[in-house]
Amino acid sequence: MAEPLLSLRKVTAGYGEAVVLHDVSLEVPENGSLAVLGRNGVGKTTLLLTIMGFTHLRGGSLAWRGRDISRLPPHRRAAGGIGWVAQEREIFPSLSVEENLIVASRPGAWTLAMTYKLFPRLAERRRNMGHQLSGGEQQMLAIARALMTNPALMLLDEPFEGLAPVIVEELVAAIKTMLAGGSIAIVLVEQHTDIALELTSEAVVLERGAVAHRAASKDLQKDLPTLDRLVGLRVATST
Amino acid sequence: MLPPIFGVLFDGFAYGMLLFLLSVGQSVTLGMMNFINLAHCSFAMLGGYVTVLLVNRYGWPFFAALPIAFLAAALASVAFERTLYRRLYRASDLDQVLLTIGITFISVAAAAYIFTTAQQPLQLPAYLRGSLSFMGLDFAVYRLILIGIALAITALLVACLEYTRFGAKIRAAVDNERMARGLGIDVDRAFALTFALGSGLAGLGGALAIEIVGLDPSFAFTYLVYVLIVVSVGGLGSIGGSFAAAAVLGISDIAGKYYVPQLGAFLIYLVMVGLLMWRPAGLFGKR
Repeated sequence: MAEPLLSLRKVTAGYGEAVVLHDVSLEVPENGSLAVLGRNGVGKTTLLLTIMGFTHLRGGSLAWRGRDISRLPPHRRAAGGIGWVAQEREIFPSLSVEENLIVASRPGAWTLAMTYKLFPRLAERRRNMGHQLSGGEQQMLAIARALMTNPALMLLDEPFEGLAPVIVEELVAAIKTMLAGGSIAIVLVEQHTDIALELTSEAVVLERGAVAHRAASKDLQKDLPTLDRLVGLRVATST
Repeated sequence: MLPPIFGVLFDGFAYGMLLFLLSVGQSVTLGMMNFINLAHCSFAMLGGYVTVLLVNRYGWPFFAALPIAFLAAALASVAFERTLYRRLYRASDLDQVLLTIGITFISVAAAAYIFTTAQQPLQLPAYLRGSLSFMGLDFAVYRLILIGIALAITALLVACLEYTRFGAKIRAAVDNERMARGLGIDVDRAFALTFALGSGLAGLGGALAIEIVGLDPSFAFTYLVYVLIVVSVGGLGSIGGSFAAAAVLGISDIAGKYYVPQLGAFLIYLVMVGLLMWRPAGLFGKR
């Protein structure tokens, strides 16, 4: 049990010659939940892309259940149990909703029926093509598609961005149901700090590609000076 | 009585179906992986020579040789993909063009060395050489069979691409390669299989082409031009587009040679220019 699900040790990574992340170390335990906060452009998305293996790893290492995955190609990491919900949702436009769900599915607790139960709207839209969905529906589909791969860890990249408050509530409820199942961990990158901290137990704040602060989510929620300094005023006004 | 134009349409459509078989693999390869494989028709030529060898030298029945032509081209393409092509997926267009045109030159020289530059006659059984009379026009049996095979393959390809999980994976990889990888789809493997299938179909096309257009070592270059025309007019990565483009170009080529012999083989290029001015991304193309 001592092995964390995912651990990053002194990870330095970027794109081509550009280095975005510097010496980032963090751990996610089985069934854990980690919020990744920070202003725009501090490397939050790059962190998720690095966990998936889409960036150029220049230093440090990543381990999955104690095994080094630093050189593993993205599709093998996904097959090993990392589910990715990309920032732009990236629904496959020429696949129907149902095809989007089954194209990469792997056997496990999250079957098509279970997934439709979590997102009834998708069941109504099952025959629609990926490009005919609203933003909220696309986000539901992106999460559902990752769930269907039955991951042990789900990476969520700003899942609530640009969505109406009603839809955000619906998604938050779905993610809570998902976490209540007790077999999935999440890393949540989010601009809505209050929601992110409510959904997670641990949090890190990035600044200029490095970890600037670590805390338990419920402590950070109350630590307004730190949030104000590292994330911005928007939090102070919304709490 | 049917007017003679139906005969022209029939011959043109049969020729178009041949172009379709030769080019559909190229279209998918280009559309899916952006890999420019100018050696595509070398695999078609390989299928042709395998058929000639099996039928003429070893006395195989023509229809038994066709699956072998498919397999030979598919397996040869896998060997090239594993050893050479794979290294150049991320390379520039120029590198890909230089490698594959080089392979085409080598294949042409190798074919000339082994089989000489002479046309290879194919000894077809008598029942394939006849024709059926229908309302006063003669329809060649061979062309009818060619059309039948091409239609069956089109239906099979479309069904495989639209209604199977493997097909969905390919469409997902064409839509968004990074996301497909990020969900655990082995895009390289899907591509290798698609590439083998496309080359196999080219090999089958090469085998079926002998009776219609003949076979000599220049085949790999002559038909490369037609294949590229079909692919660009049809739109990258579109089976339906390749089918429509091949039919239109086949019919206009035969009709041009029949009705405007002064223009002869040039009409197909005019049609290409016209269609591409109308739809620069191809008939069914998205980009």
